[in-house]
Amino acid sequence: MSKINSRPLSVDELNRFGEELDALRARTLASLGQRDADYIRRIVAGVRWLGLGGRVTLMAGAVLGCTVLPQLLWPLCIVGTVLLGLSKILENMELGHNVMHGQYDWMGDPSLHGLSYEWDIVGTSDNWRKTHNYSHHTWTNVRGMDDDIGYGLLRIFPEQRWKPFYLLQPLVAVVFALLFEWGVAMQDLRIGRWLAGRMEGRELWKMTTPVARKVGKQLLKDYVFFPLLAGPYFLPVLLGNVVANLIRNVWTYVIIFCGHFTADAEVFPKECVQNETRGHWYLRQLRGSSNLTGGRLMNLWSGNLSHQIEHHFYPDVPANRYAAMAVEVREICARYGQHYNSGSLARQFGTVVWRILRHAFPSKPGPARPLTVG
Amino acid sequence: METAIPQRTLLSRLNAVWAPPAVLDFWLSRLNPLWSWDQARARVVERRIEAEGVTTLVLKPNRHFRGFRAGQHVNVGVEIEGVRYTRSYSASDRPNADGRLRITVKAVQGGKVSQHLQAIPVGSVLSLGQAFGELAVPNDAAPCLLLAAGSGITPMLALVNAQAENGFAQPVRLACWARARAELVQAAALRALAASHPNFSVHFMLTGEAARAADEREGRIEPGHLAALLPGDEQAHVLACGPHGFVERARELLGERCLSFQAEAFSPPPRLVDASDQGRVRVTLLRSGRTLDIARNKSLLEALEEQGVTPRHGCRMGICNTCACVKPEGATRHLHDRGIQHEPTQALRLCMHAAQSDLSLEL
Repeated sequence: MSKINSRPLSVDELNRFGEELDALRARTLASLGQRDADYIRRIVAGVRWLGLGGRVTLMAGAVLGCTVLPQLLWPLCIVGTVLLGLSKILENMELGHNVMHGQYDWMGDPSLHGLSYEWDIVGTSDNWRKTHNYSHHTWTNVRGMDDDIGYGLLRIFPEQRWKPFYLLQPLVAVVFALLFEWGVAMQDLRIGRWLAGRMEGRELWKMTTPVARKVGKQLLKDYVFFPLLAGPYFLPVLLGNVVANLIRNVWTYVIIFCGHFTADAEVFPKECVQNETRGHWYLRQLRGSSNLTGGRLMNLWSGNLSHQIEHHFYPDVPANRYAAMAVEVREICARYGQHYNSGSLARQFGTVVWRILRHAFPSKPGPARPLTVG
Repeated sequence: METAIPQRTLLSRLNAVWAPPAVLDFWLSRLNPLWSWDQARARVVERRIEAEGVTTLVLKPNRHFRGFRAGQHVNVGVEIEGVRYTRSYSASDRPNADGRLRITVKAVQGGKVSQHLQAIPVGSVLSLGQAFGELAVPNDAAPCLLLAAGSGITPMLALVNAQAENGFAQPVRLACWARARAELVQAAALRALAASHPNFSVHFMLTGEAARAADEREGRIEPGHLAALLPGDEQAHVLACGPHGFVERARELLGERCLSFQAEAFSPPPRLVDASDQGRVRVTLLRSGRTLDIARNKSLLEALEEQGVTPRHGCRMGICNTCACVKPEGATRHLHDRGIQHEPTQALRLCMHAAQSDLSLEL
């Protein structure tokens, strides 16, 4: 584990830390306007055009490649699949995830309404709004409260109790990456509780119905409807859709794991959040989150989760503002002697991989790093 | 006028799979900004100045707009600086064969939307709601008195034009109140109608200028005005449209002389309460139909819970958006920055806002 030196803050310092971050939030919200609306509509357009481009190219590759121009089969199908994957990544991350946080509710546009938006992934938006917007964002990296710590499958932190099952986690982690959207879809069903006999089958069935409906719709769209449009040449289209979904799964997994599971990210015990003040909440978000460097392209394709710290400070502020806010956030953190966890994708994900490998085996937590003095 | 009744047809179910309405709308609006799978929209095809600070917009709706009757109004949505605002405007002309909808907008001081619409470029696309409202001229031989104050003239113009179409089968008398002559809307057209139809008369009441013409009078609504409109002990159907005070005064003055009384008052401003956070206000819960008195000095979430209502919620600190709900009217105060929000909103976070005035919530 790397050397980081975030000093514990006094109650007074914590309050001022919170006030400064609140002030930045208020200044940003007061300046929202046309350019933010234009930004998110450009993203919508990007999602649609990439999606159309991908599907048309894939279809052309399948039909032409299987008939008159066999040399075009592979190139067109690969380009189409990648475009479709990019469309899904942009939709899930920069559009869906941010819209569902209510970041663009101020616009009053029904198609960008946080509570009713439905995204292009097998998981339902309603489950996501609960597990992610509420549990994960309120109780970030608090053990026993934030289900996103290892998603109940992986041991990422030495503070999690070791079980022999975790010896398999290097393999489990790879399978989980490939099937990430299914993990997200099932997360709120708590199948583990049902298996352990702590939940009735009927309750599980009730929760499964909307999930099954959404899954059915997604499968019908990607694996039946669009492939069938290609008629007898459906197979390349079907495979292209499968691969596009896999590309999206792996990329979102990588970005999301870099958000809270890097070497310097911390977890917290439940006692930590009793009577939590706003300043303390901010500090906990900072200590539990990590950013990615990489400039505008990284910001776009990570849905601005490259600014995970800013996203956790301000989950309802339009994500296109995070880059500008980060300049001030960094400066505030420096003044309060707090480590600002940021690094390249390769470096950050490297530390995630190391955690997955290391904590597959028994391990002991390092010395506690207190958030506050006294 | 075409009728579009939303229903879950096989086509719409299929569409929901391969392209949900938002996706279809994206592509349809690339082809033509007016087109939509299920939303009513309209294009501004003409803009003309009616009077000082009064503009008429001629709107061409798409096929999802189900039409209107004279006297009805529609909600018009317009985007300003990235934010969609919705305001209700009366149709200011009867339905015509061209299927167009005319609204007449008076610039209100400090009114973001009414001022924006004064100069909105021809070709702009607005979102539309379906027409609503019950104002109508009763179908019998008794005279009908139309009383309009300020922009209350707009539904009356539509009603008068609708009556003109069938040659004023019954006596119709229109009285419009305005501050100055320059603010009168379509005065010349109304006078021309009155000159050619014995069954129709028009009277202009000026509150800030001296009367000059024979059909002009002075002052706010008073018994003298009404005696001129309704001589002797004649009775009439009365339709009044204007600010709340005007409508109430008309109702009071006419009393027994009304065969029927229909009114459209501009919604009174939310019961204004001092800028402090003391006292209580009335909250109407639209879904459950309940009305509650709640405290203003705490979040709406806490205040509602105090009254035994438990809205859906999560973090209770403004992060998770779970408690967001629709607020069609009323003012709220943000608990941190104390900013006051008057605009209707689709997503008000109950845990972060306190009631500032009486309000209604979709709960």
